[in-house]
Amino acid sequence: MYSRRFQYVRAQSLGDACDMLRRHGDGAKVIAGGQSLLPMVNVGLVTPEVVVDISRVPEARGLARDDGFVVIGALNTHRELMTSELLQADQPLIPAAASHIGNDRVRNRGTLGGSLAHSDPAGELPLVMTAISAMYEVTDGSSTREVKAEEFATSFLTTQLEPDEVVVAARVPVLGPGWGWSFCEMSRRKGDFAVVAAAALVRSAGGALVEARLALGGVADHPVRLGAVEAALAGATYDEIGPRVGAIEGIRPLSDTNASGEYRRHLSRVLAVRALEEAYRRSEEVE
Amino acid sequence: MSSDVTVTITVNGRQLTRTAGGHLSLLRWLREIAGVTDPKCGCGEGICGACAVLVDGRPVSSCIVLAAQVDGGEVTTASGLCEPDGSFSPLQEAFHQHHAAQCGFCTPGMLVCATAMLAEDRRLSRPEIREALHGNLCRCTGYGPIVTAIDSVQQGSHR
Amino acid sequence: MSADEIRRSKIDELHVVGQRLARGDQAEKIAGTTRFAGDLVYPGTLRAGLVRSLVPSARIVRRDAVKALALPGVVEVLFGEDVPHNSVWVDVPGQMTEVAALKANMQVLATDRVRFQGEPVALVLAETEEVLAEACNLVEVDYEGVPGVFDPDEALEPGAPPVHDQGNLLSEWRINTGDVSSAFEVADVIVEGTYTTQFVDHAYLEPEAGLGWLDDEGVLSLRVSTQVVEHYRDVARILGLPETKVRVIAPYVGGGFGGKEDMTVEPYIALGVWRTGRPVRMEWSRQESLQARAKRHPMRLKYRTAARSDGTILGQEIEIVADSGAYAYLSGLVLLYSSVHACGPYRVDNVRLRARCAYTNNPPTSAFRGFGGVQVVLAYESQIDQLARQLDIPPAAIRKLNALVRGDVLPVGQELLTDVLLPDTIDAVYERAGPRPEASGPRKAVGRAIASNIQSYGRLVWLNDAASAWVGFESDGSLRVRCGVQDIGGGQASSLAQIASEVLGTSMDKITVHFGDSALTPRAGTTTATRQLFMSGNAVHDASVQLRNQLLEVVAAESGQPVESLRLEESHVVGAQSRLAIPEALKLCRRDNVPEEALVTFFGPKGSPVAIDLRSSRVFPDFTFGTHLCDLEVDLDTGQVEILRYIAAHDVGRAINPLSVEGQISGAVVQGLGMALLEEVLVEEGNNLTAGFFQYLLPTATDVPAIETVVLESGAGLGPFGARGIGEPPTGPPIAAVANAICDALGVRPTVLPMTPERVLACVAQGGLGDDD
Repeated sequence: MYSRRFQYVRAQSLGDACDMLRRHGDGAKVIAGGQSLLPMVNVGLVTPEVVVDISRVPEARGLARDDGFVVIGALNTHRELMTSELLQADQPLIPAAASHIGNDRVRNRGTLGGSLAHSDPAGELPLVMTAISAMYEVTDGSSTREVKAEEFATSFLTTQLEPDEVVVAARVPVLGPGWGWSFCEMSRRKGDFAVVAAAALVRSAGGALVEARLALGGVADHPVRLGAVEAALAGATYDEIGPRVGAIEGIRPLSDTNASGEYRRHLSRVLAVRALEEAYRRSEEVE
Repeated sequence: MSSDVTVTITVNGRQLTRTAGGHLSLLRWLREIAGVTDPKCGCGEGICGACAVLVDGRPVSSCIVLAAQVDGGEVTTASGLCEPDGSFSPLQEAFHQHHAAQCGFCTPGMLVCATAMLAEDRRLSRPEIREALHGNLCRCTGYGPIVTAIDSVQQGSHR
Repeated sequence: MSADEIRRSKIDELHVVGQRLARGDQAEKIAGTTRFAGDLVYPGTLRAGLVRSLVPSARIVRRDAVKALALPGVVEVLFGEDVPHNSVWVDVPGQMTEVAALKANMQVLATDRVRFQGEPVALVLAETEEVLAEACNLVEVDYEGVPGVFDPDEALEPGAPPVHDQGNLLSEWRINTGDVSSAFEVADVIVEGTYTTQFVDHAYLEPEAGLGWLDDEGVLSLRVSTQVVEHYRDVARILGLPETKVRVIAPYVGGGFGGKEDMTVEPYIALGVWRTGRPVRMEWSRQESLQARAKRHPMRLKYRTAARSDGTILGQEIEIVADSGAYAYLSGLVLLYSSVHACGPYRVDNVRLRARCAYTNNPPTSAFRGFGGVQVVLAYESQIDQLARQLDIPPAAIRKLNALVRGDVLPVGQELLTDVLLPDTIDAVYERAGPRPEASGPRKAVGRAIASNIQSYGRLVWLNDAASAWVGFESDGSLRVRCGVQDIGGGQASSLAQIASEVLGTSMDKITVHFGDSALTPRAGTTTATRQLFMSGNAVHDASVQLRNQLLEVVAAESGQPVESLRLEESHVVGAQSRLAIPEALKLCRRDNVPEEALVTFFGPKGSPVAIDLRSSRVFPDFTFGTHLCDLEVDLDTGQVEILRYIAAHDVGRAINPLSVEGQISGAVVQGLGMALLEEVLVEEGNNLTAGFFQYLLPTATDVPAIETVVLESGAGLGPFGARGIGEPPTGPPIAAVANAICDALGVRPTVLPMTPERVLACVAQGGLGDDD
């Protein structure tokens, strides 16, 4: 393992952490779960001078209903997301997505905030947040601002976060009555990064699809909402879902060591249809 | 300014307070500072599971956790899993009887993760055991005997 | 009883051999107390690390350590000029006598040229890991790119950039037997195929690691993760030391699979100790290992197979090109194995084979479980599968028709001297398998197929292989075994205890095996080539027999009973009316000047070295045969493959410890499945793109089913109690069993490894099973 010294500082609060980020500038990195940061440090890809530990700050831990939303503190671990009865009832896409992240050990430490800030193009949580139009609360210690999930990622592994900002919480809408959901992922092995992933929400009535939400991960720099496909699905019966999805426009799947762009393009369609069909079936099961 | 930090961790029941680099992973702290060498470095990426230890009862990849983050916590490694008199736990006995170790390098991590799995006290099917083990790599056994060993503990044949 | 008689004991006469014993070494491993090579340090141990080339093909124009040396805590930075003899001559490692064979040169630290990305250029020694990491970054090396070549076929073209001073052809083997042209003329059917295999990494969980120190006699001692303690000779040569001044100790090794057959950390740790006089520790990172450690040879195999309409194979025309990477390592020998095994476990009278191995500026390639005998399985089993389909003959029948039997001669000229249970292994897997499974859904397709193989055990006979073992009683009747064997997880050491226990009647808990120390244990050679059970097993067996006879004779003389009426049982010499405890018998030995110990060298069979035109009546001591069956399901929309069931049957001769045997089979199969479906080190223009375990995909517990094993025991092997070797043989069939099963499911044959979902999806499309939209 590549072992370079860095300074470890424990933040007493999020505001404290932001101060330290400002003080140390480029050489400072935030750590919560460390499950994205430390592998990169170990192989020498990232060489911080200061690591600011926010894992023990009192804020950003809650997971509670607030009117028609659930507010999820950024420091909730993936395990907490996966096992939350509240989320399983109110926004099951999130526990489903979290269960695909890595393995038990990663889920015991890795956090929502960490995943969102890391912004892997195939990341499960950014994908789901995009599908459900979540809002993120972000702070620089003195002021907070809100960012739409689908605007948060700006390019490959890059977000809107300023160097002195951290994610505080995600505000996610409660899944309304009559909605079904689905999370489908293709990965080479269980728990691996998704090659392509799809998150879908469907509301149906009288044997036809009324409304759909569809987002794909792994097909661009960041998750993509497929508004055109959503529009094309209005009024579709279950059997019409596949034909109406058609070829998916507006994605630029990349080639990497795991898969070619062409294969990802093919998978986009396969997983989109599977997710929509499963969401549709679930929508018929709920009242 | 020194980058050393003072960290207190209870390792296998032994409380240790040490001052060392704040950059040290829990794995390196355990191996180099605490002298507990059963967690191993297999990849440094948190993928292979050879470094797995329990922190406050939950399994983590100690190579991607900072020791400083575990300050005040309790760590159990594989060598801390035996009974108080030093004899094998039922899980360890099962591993032995079912030949669940060959070269033995993945074994400490396997034992730690299997312990956590069994502590959930939910009867797991063999596919579920495999799923729970997917984060622990073994290059020697082909996994079958490990799954059998864990299953046999569930069934009580090693209690 | 003579050694031979005991060796051929029937299974029902054995008490310890054949028992499913929980192994002693396992207890420590499960307790977590085993000290692997990286687990020990002495106070004051220095840390060593390598500065490696970033580019695959270049001249080194400048090397400067000034900045690194200025860093506090840096003790030394060594370049090639600092190495007394900066050469590693590649012979066969661990050989028992010198062989006038393949010699190629590699530097310990490169001075003028680097030939692959990751080649070591400097050795840094520092007080701590942190200083080491900083210092390695501060060593300055400037490169001037030199045109490289990255494909072995291209490397063999005239005008290709030369990787070394001579041409890029490293090694060539040819087999020409019978009349291939006629065979193809009269054939009813000819099938052709080109098969491509990839760079595979050993990915042992324990990285390359070790500790070195100078002991009180000034012996440079290395305690390293290795399969070959005999590398003390190579280290001595490099440092210009007498061989007696270097010692290599192999503790329990956390997986080897051939990747620790060549030297890895040894020369560097030794250099550090030699230069500083201080203990030195080195551990390679996983990423370093993935980049720079020698891999399995990628091969392109072109086969044309001629057959009669009844399925009899008439002839094979075979062309193999393998990628040796930047340095020779063991490539010539790997290619030899491929050539000898190229026609599989079948009788083929007419063979034209040309196998070539080329240098490239890719990562070097060397030994890996199967040693060239694996890649060819994909080819010969795909070919016979094609024949079966084309001729509408069941897979079992066509293999049985062509199967070698005792007395047959392999294409290379070697006669098979032991029974071949190939048909039995075929029957065994089908019997266990039962009916074919149904597909689990409309967009799924199930396939079933078998693959058989042949793999040698024991070393090439002209290497004059030998293994020695010492056994001796302690005064309390317990038994000590000393043998140089390296234990890499297959129970190499524990098997020796079981053998000694069987012969000497001493219970396992009273036996201690000391192993893997080049200074203190009799040399037993490498733990490679599936040779240890055969060689050191026989050595321990014969030494135990000798010791047994010494004891029995002394007691016979004393008591007047005939020797034949005495036996050893539970630490007693037992006769018709007598029962003497071993400690008492030992007193008689001392009185009568009879040793309480025995040292025996077991010599392997002999033969003459081969030339490029391969023809020899004996190349290997013997072979192991087996058949595997695979049921799988293909997702027709994603190309993903799920292995539903996997059954492996091998004739192991005698299973000394069935638990160990099943474990070896199971582990080898999963490695084979990894090679079939998941594993690949991707190299592009010499740049290694596979940077870690997040990219190098090893099979996990969810990627494979429970591997079912059927162990057949013919008793016909050359090892102790009729054992054959089993370490390597099960590695070969999975790549073919999976390929054949996918072909069975889709009607299209995959021919490139690994069979990724993307490649399988292409087969789906080609087979007309793609989604119609």
